[in-house]
Amino acid sequence: MGTRETPQANAAGSDDPLLAVENLTTVFNTDKETIHAVDGVSFDVREGETVGVVGESGSGKSVTARSILGLVERPGVIESGSIRFRGDELTGDNWDRYRGDISIVFQDPINSMNPVYTVGNQIREALRIHQGLRGQDAREEAIRLLEEVGIPDARRRVGEYPHQFSGGMRQRAVIAMALACDPDLLVCDEPTTALDVTIQAQILELLDELQREEDLAILFITHDMGVIEDTADRVNVMYAGEVVERAPVDQLFDSPAHPYTRGLLASIPGQTAESDRLPTIGGEVPTPTAEPTDCRFADRCPEAFDACEQVHPDHVRIGSDHTAACLLHEDRYDRQLSASGAGDDTPAGDAAVDGGGQR
Amino acid sequence: MSRWRYLAKRFLMAIPVLWLGTSMTWAIIFLGPINPATYVLGQTNPQNQAAVKAARERFGLGEPPLEHYTEFMINMVTLDLGQTWLLYPGTPVMSLIFDYAPRTVWLGFWSVLIAVFVGVPLGFYAGLNSNSVSDYATSLTGIVWRAMPNFWLAIMLLALLVKSETITQALFGIPISWDTFLVDINAITGNPQLSYMQGNPLALVTQPRETLAAIKKILPAAVVLGSASMGNEMRIGRTAVLETRSEQYIDTAKAKGVSGRVLVWKHILRNALIPLVPIVTSEAFLLIGGSVLVETVFGINGMGKLFFDAAIQGDLWLVATLMFIFIILIVGINIVQDLLYTLIDPRVGYERE
Repeated sequence: MGTRETPQANAAGSDDPLLAVENLTTVFNTDKETIHAVDGVSFDVREGETVGVVGESGSGKSVTARSILGLVERPGVIESGSIRFRGDELTGDNWDRYRGDISIVFQDPINSMNPVYTVGNQIREALRIHQGLRGQDAREEAIRLLEEVGIPDARRRVGEYPHQFSGGMRQRAVIAMALACDPDLLVCDEPTTALDVTIQAQILELLDELQREEDLAILFITHDMGVIEDTADRVNVMYAGEVVERAPVDQLFDSPAHPYTRGLLASIPGQTAESDRLPTIGGEVPTPTAEPTDCRFADRCPEAFDACEQVHPDHVRIGSDHTAACLLHEDRYDRQLSASGAGDDTPAGDAAVDGGGQR
Repeated sequence: MSRWRYLAKRFLMAIPVLWLGTSMTWAIIFLGPINPATYVLGQTNPQNQAAVKAARERFGLGEPPLEHYTEFMINMVTLDLGQTWLLYPGTPVMSLIFDYAPRTVWLGFWSVLIAVFVGVPLGFYAGLNSNSVSDYATSLTGIVWRAMPNFWLAIMLLALLVKSETITQALFGIPISWDTFLVDINAITGNPQLSYMQGNPLALVTQPRETLAAIKKILPAAVVLGSASMGNEMRIGRTAVLETRSEQYIDTAKAKGVSGRVLVWKHILRNALIPLVPIVTSEAFLLIGGSVLVETVFGINGMGKLFFDAAIQGDLWLVATLMFIFIILIVGINIVQDLLYTLIDPRVGYERE
């Protein structure tokens, strides 16, 4: 655990990142076992940038988001690690001080708003708490926010109930509600997954616009590599509760270092035109129930070798801001001590390297 | 506007239900095997064919079924409820109902009220403090309360009240008699005195002494009658709160910075009420049927007892008209339920094109 490289090791150091997550471990205690839904995750988000978190279902993305907002409920508990916002620690129940500074947009717009209150009522509630607006001022501001997120006829729709909105409109309204808190960081937990593709594109465009106008930082969580490519500046790839690779978005797409990332990229439809079947990663994400002693991806990894079953890989520097937790790179690192992070792809044939080293 | 249209639609839809229910009542009662003529003749001479035929004629039972049915339906719809044959021969059914109904309404009102005001808050409390000691204690009490059968609970409660002096002497050292506690009542069981309100409903407030006595008289019966409902409402209330608490919009509200009390009162409780509405109203139905037992044990001459007696003695006309009244009540309660729905949940009444 202790030897893990933290992401800001090479940061400038002068200014704190907006959000710094360090070794975050969130576990769910059930009668039978303890599930490490998030296990030692570290990343940071700087002002005004978009950081992506990508991974399959069950990789711990959403629990990470909920942990950041302090929404983890029993039997879940943040076991260790730190979440700092503007340098202040949030864990240990200090979220209330920054409520609203971090807003969240959930995946499912149908359940994100309380069905028995009007959209306007729920936006005004946030405006009252965070901007002290009441009465007519709050109403006008709510209308302005709905217009800002592109809801036509906002003056009328502010008095309607969530069920009277279509899916895409509802997600826009949820974003308006998040904006009403006047946030610095917007956590988007799969905000477009429940929407169809054209609406998805509109929502992504809206988020992009808002980010430029309001200088928002966005933590964008999704399972969709295509969406990540469009939105994120930097990407964290999660697998079974851990970040297995982190890199700036173009580096990640040009030269993925972790076999899991490569698998994800290969399974984007339209990437591999020559074969008629879409490549997939066989198997399922395991449920991490204990401290890791091996590489959790080893079972599904096409390039796994003996050592993968016995050594838990730490993050290895690949490029200037690019790390991956994979023994493939550990070996190369050991062998070519002086070579500074050649980030090129490892051909599949090299997977047979015998990893006797890390025993 | 859609709410009013929705309610209007409910009213229209109640009409076929009313018609169907009344027709089935007629079919079950008048096409059934019970021959009231034999009850009238009773011990005298049931084998006398001529006398039986005469009695049947008198009740209009000799008519062809279709004619009888039409007559019955017209009478019901015009609220011409006729007279009883056997129970109180010659008394108009209407005046019987005016006599008996207030006691049942009084009993039903308090048993629903006690159940709602004890069961629902306890359930909500348990749901908000789930898996704590107090939750377990409340839930266990609720289940035990729910499981006790009415007739047994009624007898036990009566036994305790009769011995109230001895019990309070042993527990608190002071003998308190239920008969004289707060206000005097002449007996533990019996009809509540409601006549003081006749023609002057305001007496409910202006004559608190009589009101208190009437409440005290009905209280044991109301507690027993509402016991199962109370347990039910507690369980459902707890589940509803637990479910609502885990909804995503609650997380959204929390992330928005909504504080504890507003979160509970504004965001959780109103949503948790939605599944409780049909539970409470369906229990109002139960009270009509279930009150027979309780009214018998507590010696209250209510609608339940009247219906029971009429059915046992083969007073078909009275049974049929009471059934018709019950159908109207049930349909009415259903409409009230729909009205409550539209008040609590804006999604009701909304139609997608």
